[in-house]
Amino acid sequence: MGGRALSTFLQLLLRSLETGAIYALATLGIIIVFRTNLVINFAQGVMGMFGAYIVTVIFTKFGIPLLLAILLGIIAAIAIGFVVDFVIIRRTKKVGGSGKEIITLGMMMVFLGIAPMVFGVDPFRLPKIIETGAFTLDAANLSYNSLLNIIVGLALTIGLFLLLQKTKLGLAIRTTASNERTARMLGVPTKKVTLFSWALAMVLGTLAGVLIAPSTSVTVNLMDSVQVNAFIACVLGGFQTFYGPVIGAYIIAIANNLLSYYVSSVWGTQILYLLVIIFIVIKPVGLVGKRVIKKV
Amino acid sequence: MKEDSIIKRIYKSPYLHFVVFGLVMSLLPALTSGGILKTSWLGIIGGTIIYTIAALGLNLLLGYSGLISLGTAGFMGLGAYISAYATGNLGLPWEIGILAAVVIPVILGILIGLASLRMEGLYLGIVTLCVSEVLRKTFDELEPITGGFSGKSAEYPTLLGMFKLNQSTTFILLCVILVLVMILTYHLANGQMGRALNAMRGSHVAAQAMGVSLLKYRLIAFALATGYASLAGALYAHFIKFVYPSTWNLPLSLVILSIIVIGGLRSIYGTFIGAVIVYALPDLVLKRIPVIGDINGLSYVFSGILIILVVLFYPGGCVTVFYDLKRLLKKLTKRQVKDHV
Repeated sequence: MGGRALSTFLQLLLRSLETGAIYALATLGIIIVFRTNLVINFAQGVMGMFGAYIVTVIFTKFGIPLLLAILLGIIAAIAIGFVVDFVIIRRTKKVGGSGKEIITLGMMMVFLGIAPMVFGVDPFRLPKIIETGAFTLDAANLSYNSLLNIIVGLALTIGLFLLLQKTKLGLAIRTTASNERTARMLGVPTKKVTLFSWALAMVLGTLAGVLIAPSTSVTVNLMDSVQVNAFIACVLGGFQTFYGPVIGAYIIAIANNLLSYYVSSVWGTQILYLLVIIFIVIKPVGLVGKRVIKKV
Repeated sequence: MKEDSIIKRIYKSPYLHFVVFGLVMSLLPALTSGGILKTSWLGIIGGTIIYTIAALGLNLLLGYSGLISLGTAGFMGLGAYISAYATGNLGLPWEIGILAAVVIPVILGILIGLASLRMEGLYLGIVTLCVSEVLRKTFDELEPITGGFSGKSAEYPTLLGMFKLNQSTTFILLCVILVLVMILTYHLANGQMGRALNAMRGSHVAAQAMGVSLLKYRLIAFALATGYASLAGALYAHFIKFVYPSTWNLPLSLVILSIIVIGGLRSIYGTFIGAVIVYALPDLVLKRIPVIGDINGLSYVFSGILIILVVLFYPGGCVTVFYDLKRLLKKLTKRQVKDHV
């Protein structure tokens, strides 16, 4: 009896790690753009949806192997990221207030509109990267594909942190994040940094989309819940650090699964969101955020 | 300076302009029944009016006090379901239904206003998004009240328990309510409250130092925004006559936001112009164009590009086009006078 309860718990935890990995990728996309551009990118979800569509269409229409399709999708994602930064974001330097966020909302609508034009309205299916096979861990099952998702999520997160902390590019990103103007004066190529950050956000979104696609069908709504959860993870973890939101993403995923299973399958998510709101009211800067003192 | 005569003052009164505007709008049913315009116009312009009401509330919040909310859709849905449930299942009169549909969301809005005192800028946007998501998921699940995924139907309103309205008369009712809402908004925005909200937008610390009560005005701003949104939702339920849970999602909140950005922040007519551009224009014009009109998602791309262009190049919104034209005209006529001298 006790063993079964434990294995159920383990199963839930493993599944949460898988969704957590997907949320973490989307969250990282939001946070890297926020830190370098000081804009909350509301288009992150639909950008990921668009990338996932590209991969799916390359895979189904042209019959190219899935891994190669993903690689081509990543290249396309980088190109789209460059275009977004080049055509739109570069020109928003002087836009004040929430103007930049509203521009990302406009971008979101453009992506939402272009997707059915290019890919049609019929939903697609994207298979798993590893079709079959599972291993058992103390009576908890985990398919190889889920394991792959968990590993991809963790590896990308760790890789990104290494990039931020150990490389020259990472230093440039962190300098830009702390103060864009000073960074520019010190000779940091901030334009290249923002260009890179949008491409990276687009790639991370695409990967999150590709990982979540097999569990549902590829439509324009593919990333809706991922997007909402990623935003909530950002608020929960605080926008001031790179690692806070990632922690937030895993907490959201684990808490959501546990609440849905142990409390209520219907009301679990709502309870979680309400808890997050209460948490934000108590601690407005998030889990690991620092209070930014604003001068009047 | 000489006092204006009474007639001139009445002529210049913005309230009269709103009433005239409403009267012109309410001629539409006569035009459609006369066969001059298609009947489908009634539904589309009616929807535009409903969107304008919701957007006016958000304009008070974002335009005047600078607080962003991404929860408009959730509150519209809440208003729609409460009104549909009260009139349909409980058999209450339409007036009481709509009152309940405004009061309950306003209480929720005040709670969010309280929470907003602890947060800054876009954190608030995401928290309101959170609230809206909770509401939307609740609409899915609370089947006895909302009808779940299969939706909930409502009837055209019956005024005072005896006047049963049809589509045209409901449209006129919408026009009347729009005029009332416009007058209320104008009155609020140009009075003490408008000044207080403007001061808060500039700097809430400075506003507090000048004696503006942050608590009071944030609560009022949120109460008004949610009140307008839920009123719009309730009217939607009784005009469209059917409510689905999937209507009240994030894109709807974004559409309302894009209406005030495209039309013009802090402008009442601008909000209406924005609603026409975002909601009516794609339906009335874009879809009629051969070949291009059949493409899916065109209206989204249209409003999306318009938002980006307006924010980048025309931050005052489309309504400033008229002011700019006026100024240009004045400049031209002045120059002519000078030339004559």
